[in-house]
Amino acid sequence: MAGADALQAGAEAPSPCRFVLAQVTGPLDVAIPAAILLLILVACFGLPAAVGLPSPVGGSVLEANLPPFSARHLLGTDLNGNDVLSRIVHGGQASIAIAVSVNVIGLLLGGTIGAVSGYLGRFVDALIMRVLDVFIAFPSLVLVLAVAQGLGGGVLNTIWSLSLFSVPAFARVARSATLRVRGQAFVTSAELSGGGPSRNVLRHVAPNIAPQLITFALLGVGVVMVIEGGLSFLGFGIEAPRPSWGNMIAQGQQGLFTRPSLVLLPSSMLFLTVLSCNLLGEALRRRWSAR
Amino acid sequence: MTGIRAGSNRGGRGDRTQDGRVWTLWSTRPRLPHCVAVSLVLRRLATAVPVILGVSLLTFWILNLMPGNTALSLLGADATAAQVAQLEAELGLDRPAIERYLEWLGGLFKGDLGRSLASGQPVSSMIAERSAVTLELVMLAVVLSTTLAVGMALLAARRPGKTADRVGAVMGMIGISTPSYVLAIVLVLAFAVNARLFPSIGFVPIEESALGNLRSLTLPTIALAMPYFGVCSRFVRGDLVEQMESYGYITTARAKGLGSWNVLLRHALPNSLVGLVTVIGLNLGPLIGGTVIVEQIFALPGLGSLLLQAVNVRDAAVVQGIVLVMAVVTLLATLCVDLLYMLLDPRIRYGRR
Repeated sequence: MAGADALQAGAEAPSPCRFVLAQVTGPLDVAIPAAILLLILVACFGLPAAVGLPSPVGGSVLEANLPPFSARHLLGTDLNGNDVLSRIVHGGQASIAIAVSVNVIGLLLGGTIGAVSGYLGRFVDALIMRVLDVFIAFPSLVLVLAVAQGLGGGVLNTIWSLSLFSVPAFARVARSATLRVRGQAFVTSAELSGGGPSRNVLRHVAPNIAPQLITFALLGVGVVMVIEGGLSFLGFGIEAPRPSWGNMIAQGQQGLFTRPSLVLLPSSMLFLTVLSCNLLGEALRRRWSAR
Repeated sequence: MTGIRAGSNRGGRGDRTQDGRVWTLWSTRPRLPHCVAVSLVLRRLATAVPVILGVSLLTFWILNLMPGNTALSLLGADATAAQVAQLEAELGLDRPAIERYLEWLGGLFKGDLGRSLASGQPVSSMIAERSAVTLELVMLAVVLSTTLAVGMALLAARRPGKTADRVGAVMGMIGISTPSYVLAIVLVLAFAVNARLFPSIGFVPIEESALGNLRSLTLPTIALAMPYFGVCSRFVRGDLVEQMESYGYITTARAKGLGSWNVLLRHALPNSLVGLVTVIGLNLGPLIGGTVIVEQIFALPGLGSLLLQAVNVRDAAVVQGIVLVMAVVTLLATLCVDLLYMLLDPRIRYGRR
């Protein structure tokens, strides 16, 4: 009967707005991390436009290493004379853009591969899983490193190289979720009423595996941010003059003893963002799996 | 219970299992029925071969995609075209990629990983030289994180929702949300700069001084272990709490009058260990990958830092070798995890599913 109830509720839930509202107004385990994430998003994408921050690159050496709360530089400047606040905001833009795109690519491409693989089964499934095993078999960071070096730095190339391991991960999750849905009566009845595989996957399987994939994506945003930061930290990923939280940490590490704030500021932003993503994903998973 | 007794007649020392006694980790000596273990190993090795071939083909392809010229980057920017061509011919880089791949693959069967393009040293000896540090680091991190995770989870599961549980949940969440490089820098700042308890960089070989060796690896191990600890402790805690709340044998054990520690340690924990082993295995890949960053920060002479150097000078032979070794190690570790899984799970151990 639980299935029937869910169906009923699904039929009645009309607008996405109201659905989001219902998620946010519940217990605070969803609202708090969501609010923090929103704040970070607004700060990173809205602040430069709203208050006109100095450029994150090309600062003058004459202004190097200013302490926090200097005139025109709220958080001071780094060793190259660039405004720290502006670098954090622009670095955040890069990190968030990369993490979100990698997960969207993973969700769409990996989700499709996994759902098709799980739905069709047999030969196709075996073939696809063997290929994915290759990617899952070994340390992703090592692979990403080689690819990132191969493709060169920059936002787009970093997205491609990170997608190389987000796609198999999503495919795994989508496949196991599909296998669970596959045996249920409504899929069989859809098959019997003559729907082709593509229609069935799209209309009957996809809506049922979506919640699981979406929570996985939220947790994935955190994971990708950590790895992207690591790549930029090592000097791959986003390349030096352009800011990213990862390469800011690496740069600040050289002056760690004299000015730890240059490391601690981007570190805490990264930590806060990843923590909020994890808390939000975790809370949504609890809520959706309880239903 | 009957399953265990019936099975244990075949299982050597296992048949001393007392009647009605719930299987625990310490009460019996697990014995593998050799046929099951051997067939698992064979099956795994059979699937591992294509996977490893795939991994090596993929890395070879990627390394050949690398823009820029290996010979040019070895010679420096102002080399003439003739010098570049000569070095390429010396290194065999002028031949088609597929030919080089097949040759490399042929060498692999003879245990030869080729020679470094940059230094001319054999890749296998370079890897052998560096792998001890990485291996020690990974093992220490696994031991530290699982011990901590199991301890924390036991404390949490004894009284769910109370202080220890909350502290554990917060620590776990912080663990999985802290990138290892951030944690590493914070640790250096706290313990190497301000408190001066541990060295911030460098490595002391174990032959030189055992204590110095441990001291030089303490901070890297913690930095590497924390995210892993988060994953493990959350899993064990969840599993233990679920068992304590809803399984009959726990109720039985409690009804016998056992204390909460006894119930946890003897009846719940052994079951959770089976799952924990799987979680450990699944997360070994990221852990081994994480050594690249940690070794770089703490200037440890391991495989990860060798890989970084090689990637930076486009030394394809070395990168290829390291990726291959890491893939093989990860696959072998997963195999060990599955064997351990058999040792820990009596149903699998006695060949009954």
